[in-house]
Amino acid sequence: MKHSTPTTTVAPVLSVEGLSRDFNIPVPFLRRLVPGRPRPVFRAVTDVSFEIPRGQTYALVGESGSGKSTIARMVVGLTRPTAGVVRIAGHDLFAPDARGTRQAMRRRIQMVFQDPQASLNPRWRVEAIVGEPIRAFGLASGRALAARVAGHLETVGLSAADARKYPHEFSGGQRQRIAIARALASEPEFIVCDEPTSALDVSVQAQVLNLLRTLQSDLGLTYLFISHDLAVVRHMAQRVGVLQRGILVEEADTKTFFEGPKAEYSQMLLSAVPKIRKGTDE
Amino acid sequence: MTDLLTLTDLVVDIPHRRGTLRAIDGVSLSIARGEVLGLVGESGAGKSMIGNAVIGLLARPAHVAGGEIWLGDRRIDRLAPHQMRQLRGRRIGMIFQDPQTSLNPLMRIGDQLVETIRLHRPMPAAGARTEAIRLLDEVGIPAPEERMAYWPHQFSGGQRQRIVIALALAGEPELIIADEPTTALDVSVQAQIIRLLKRLCADRGVAVMLITHDMGVIAETADRVCVLYAGRVAETGPVTEVLSRPRHPYTVGLMDAIPSLDPARGEPGVATLRQIPGAMPSIAARPSGCAFHPRCASATPDCARVRPDPRPAGRSEVACPVCAPTHEDAAS
Repeated sequence: MKHSTPTTTVAPVLSVEGLSRDFNIPVPFLRRLVPGRPRPVFRAVTDVSFEIPRGQTYALVGESGSGKSTIARMVVGLTRPTAGVVRIAGHDLFAPDARGTRQAMRRRIQMVFQDPQASLNPRWRVEAIVGEPIRAFGLASGRALAARVAGHLETVGLSAADARKYPHEFSGGQRQRIAIARALASEPEFIVCDEPTSALDVSVQAQVLNLLRTLQSDLGLTYLFISHDLAVVRHMAQRVGVLQRGILVEEADTKTFFEGPKAEYSQMLLSAVPKIRKGTDE
Repeated sequence: MTDLLTLTDLVVDIPHRRGTLRAIDGVSLSIARGEVLGLVGESGAGKSMIGNAVIGLLARPAHVAGGEIWLGDRRIDRLAPHQMRQLRGRRIGMIFQDPQTSLNPLMRIGDQLVETIRLHRPMPAAGARTEAIRLLDEVGIPAPEERMAYWPHQFSGGQRQRIVIALALAGEPELIIADEPTTALDVSVQAQIIRLLKRLCADRGVAVMLITHDMGVIAETADRVCVLYAGRVAETGPVTEVLSRPRHPYTVGLMDAIPSLDPARGEPGVATLRQIPGAMPSIAARPSGCAFHPRCASATPDCARVRPDPRPAGRSEVACPVCAPTHEDAAS
């Protein structure tokens, strides 16, 4: 049994131990009345453990239904695990007496979602969207808040003047930049990116991926990167975990993984990716 | 090889309160029997608009405002709605992105197939049923006879897309328009559907217009590819040629921007992706001349004035006078 004394200097930014999550399966009405039957459950995530050291990117890959997003939601504290521990910089996120820590942790964890169309409030101006975390955590107010918003917008490659606009005035890639600026606003150390470029065109995807990489090296961010696209993962992550029906079937350094995946499922995933033959003749 | 589908100078306009938007601006292309033509482009390029124009399903007020569409020796862009309806499904089959929405959730799949078969090919119910089972078998549904009685929700996404393909084949069409047929599917299922499409194309000699944003799918499936940008053809040619030797600056940029599994493209987690600055212009604000010039590194002042037409370059045709000069240009 590992002890949970916070040792912030060496603790990885995220450590997940034996994480599991069950979901109840709806039962037909009449059968619910039959006594003596256990409620059927669907185990979406089974005993998953991994760590992410500071400043690194860990990618979770898998097909739909493999439990990627469930893990993401547990790691940021949106879904409570059935079993297991999530530690952020050594602090147990779901400890029963951890209300205070959880509040403090919230500022340090942020999330970027797949579809910026859905994750940005269409009736708010960009300044309100990006300013909300700053206000919520009491980081600044008034002029200082506006200055911070402008600063974050410039960091992600937009201009300070964009603060007055609404989300619909931007293209898909720019909207994802706004979502990233919003994630940066609480000055987090750890960002969970759940399919951040799946809704974007390739030329725009390259811009957003490069931006995420630049931000990581400039601000020392740590990423949990969730994707079904192995080529994107190869480009972004230092370490890869492959999920199959909620079980982590393989975990390896990116280089080792792409040179020769061990698990049969990983090999199948890799071979199913359409290959673009370039620089060679027919 | 004779061309089955030919588009010449196709123009699609969308009338608007303040003037007219030109969605497709003079696109010419052709597909031969037994050939897969990939139509690639990013959102807003007009790829689905072209597919819809061919099958006469442009959403109002969009309409074909110029050019011609020929299916074999029949011109089909001026047909009356009832004539078009006879072609649709019979001579041109369709596969859409989301199999969930292309199947009727309240009808058993056997009934959907039998109805479609009898609509296009009058035959007794028993014969249509045999034919439906044969089609399910052809697209790789196991135990097809038993599955006839299943509802759409009882199938997985990949199987549903197979059933949609069976429906598209029900009228024995000569041309299939597949609009993002694998986008909603996982990669392993996508690979199966790609194999199926290619097999059908080879076995039946059907021509396929494959509309997608995914260069990987094009590389695995298509014989020729047509790259669209802002409602125009940027580059078109054999897949091997266009992907291995892209000539148009947009195609070059697009190929560089795709993250790759190829070890030659840099260390994992280290190399920076090359990116094209900016984004596809909206249809209401397309730049003058070559629509790509504001994002193009090799643009000359002429590019903002002159709208380039595709010209032969190697085995491709490229709409860029800077990157694919003709012999006359080179001489002068």
